[in-house]
Order: sequence, then structure tokens, then C-alpha cells
Amino acid sequence: MSRILLSVVACLGVTSAGISQSAPNKIDLSDPSLVFVDESVIPIPLEIFASLDKLGNQDWGQQVNEREVKLNMNRSRTAMLFGLVISEGFIAVQAKDKDAVKRIGREVLRLAQPLNVANEVEGHANAIMNTAGDGNWAQVRKELDKTRQTVLDEMKSNRDDDLVDLVSLGGWLGGTEALAAVLKSNYTVEGSDLLNQPELVGKLKSDFNSLPRRVRNGKLFNQVGKTLSHLESLMKIDGNGIISEGKVIEISVATSNLVQAIYES
Amino acid sequence: MRVKLFLLPAYLGIACSLLFAGLHCSHGQDNDSDVEAENEPLNDIKLIAQSAAIPSLKGESPFVLRESWWKGNLKPGNAKLIQIQLFRRNEYQFWMAVPDVDAGLNLNVYNSEGEMVESETVTFPETNVVSTIVRPKATGLYYVRVSLKTTIDKNQDWAVIYAYR
Repeated sequence: MSRILLSVVACLGVTSAGISQSAPNKIDLSDPSLVFVDESVIPIPLEIFASLDKLGNQDWGQQVNEREVKLNMNRSRTAMLFGLVISEGFIAVQAKDKDAVKRIGREVLRLAQPLNVANEVEGHANAIMNTAGDGNWAQVRKELDKTRQTVLDEMKSNRDDDLVDLVSLGGWLGGTEALAAVLKSNYTVEGSDLLNQPELVGKLKSDFNSLPRRVRNGKLFNQVGKTLSHLESLMKIDGNGIISEGKVIEISVATSNLVQAIYES
Repeated sequence: MRVKLFLLPAYLGIACSLLFAGLHCSHGQDNDSDVEAENEPLNDIKLIAQSAAIPSLKGESPFVLRESWWKGNLKPGNAKLIQIQLFRRNEYQFWMAVPDVDAGLNLNVYNSEGEMVESETVTFPETNVVSTIVRPKATGLYYVRVSLKTTIDKNQDWAVIYAYR
């Protein structure tokens, strides 16, 4: 009898374990018992461009800008510039512009010095320049992503955590500027949905606002905060499930103005 | 921890190439992770996932592996969620790995409404690695749910990597 009972209990155990083994078809995202992994990963521009290119070839060459990088003592600005320059590298890869990629490789090295990550970045920067010369775009793309990630990791280990968010923000901003500019000159409803990033912009804004005041002090960073709030209101689909051409133009203008301000401040 | 011997050459190969490239591990780390110091240069669990990813990164239409990744620690029967922005028309492949070859894993993707999205599961001879491919129908925020089945008793450190095409 006790054996039978044990078997029944064992069977029940297996069944109940079996139920708990499979993932639910739906989860309640507001359930307070859910555990979220803290850090989010910011998409790189190429991830977004890959989707847009599936709608037809885009003129990425038009988005390669030769902007002068003027360094000053403001490391917060340098961190944002670093992210921007890396995003320019991704745009140049998409445009297969060898000269631009080589120039960007040199800028990456120059910007790495005030951020105290020059040693770690040097190998990647050289690889970017060499592989671009060979037209090995897959490798250049890989090295750019490695450079970006190496810098973020090194800054974390150097206790420069506050600047990590600014590098990520700069990279996202540069990619969004290029995406919005391409969509502005060749608007399609399908393509514009790539700008539907309300939660991501919200996260970037919240990370930015959580930075200590000393890190985001001054006129430029006031503009960063205001632009992020503005973009948060623009970068979401409307009731018809689209982002209108008007909004795309606004996103393009807002991102372009901020990028220009970062370079020129 | 038991690791299949036949996978060791692949792990070592990847380890050497990563060392050569000077790559440092980079990741999102969950709060209760008690596994490693922030800057451990190599992560064996990540290497298990990477070795499983190799076939998808080759061929005519290869996935492009991102350098960013996540890691943490899970109790059997528990789950965690990773937030990620995905873009329509792209395909994404995720790989999850834990060290214990007897472990059973679930790796699923949910949309912003909390509904599981259609996916293609890729299986491996070992149950301590699992992979899934998703083709998001809309651009937006998604949730990758990682969970550890109760087939083992011990907590597991985990790593998730992903690629797009």
C-alpha cells in the first residue's frame, strides 16, 4: 500500500515539476515578483540599418560626415564624442567608405587618451584602419563593436561608470541621427517604425538624469536632457501604428542639432 | 561541473582568439550575481554559448554576433527577464548556457504585452545550452526570459549572447 502511495506521490511530483518546467505563454509584466536583469544593451546602428536595408538600398554615403573633433577638458563631452565617433564608424562601414573608416580609427585613438583607455583601444583602432584598407567590412564592423564594448568595460573597471552611460548615449544618438536623416529623405511607413523606441529613449533619459550633477553640468548637457525628453515624445508610434513623416523630420532636426552642439561646444 | 570533452577544442580555440584580440568580457550583470569579478577576462560559460553559436555565424547569410552579453545566477525553478529593443525585419538568435550538462533550460522571448512570440528553437546534444531564433513582427521592446528547470538542485551561473541578421 505504502509503495503504491509512494508511486502516486512520485507521479504527482513529476507532473507538477513538468508543469513548472515549461515557460508560460503569457507573463504579467507588472508582476512585482518578476526579476529583471539590470542592464540593458543599446542596439548598435548596424543592427538598425540592417533592417532598413531590407526595404531597399539606402544612400548611407550621404550620412558620412567629416566633422572636426575638437578636444577640451570636459570628459563628459569627450565620452559622448567617443560614442558619436564610433557610430560614425558604423555609418562609414555601411557606406563602405574606406577613407572615412580610417579617419575614424585615428579619431578613436585620439579620443581614447583623455578617457584613459588608449592602451586597451589601440589594437582595435589599428585593426579598424588595417581591415578597412583591405575592404574587410565584416571585420571592421566586428572591431568597431569590440572597441565600443572594450571602452565601456575599461571605464567601468576604472570607476568611470558615470561616463559609460554617456558613451552609450553618444553612440545611440549618432545612429539615430543617421537613421532619421535617411528616413527623412526617403520616407516610408515601414521604415519609420525603426524609430519606435519609447522605452529605450526613456531608459537613456532616466540613466542620464541619474548621473551626478557634476557630470552633466553646463549648457550642452541641459540641451541633452531637453532633447531626450523631446525625443521620448516623438519616438513612438501613433494610434495608426506609424511614426508620421512630420515626426521623422522633427527627430532628424532634434538629433542633428544636438550632435552639432556636441561637436562644436 | 562537468563539461563535455569534445567541446574543449572549440572552447580553447575561441579562448585563444579572444585573448589574441585582447577582448575583455562585457556584460549586463544582474543584481544577485555572485559569480565573478566585473573584469574577469574570460568566462567559461560564455564560451559554451559561443561555441554553440559558431555554425550560425558562418555561411551565406550569417548572423552577426554582438559583443554585448548578459550573465547572472539562477536557482532551479526560477526565471529572469532581459529587456532588449528588437527591430522588425531582422532575425535574432539568442544562446543561453550554464555549466552543468544535466541542467535543463528555457529561453523564450516575449513582446511588450507579455505574450510569448513565435520562435524557432535550436537544440544541441547537451541540455545545458539552448538557442532560439525570433523574427519580431514589430519594432519595440522585448523580454528574453531565461529559466532553469528543476532537473538539478544547484544554482547555475548563466550567460546569454545574441546575434542579428
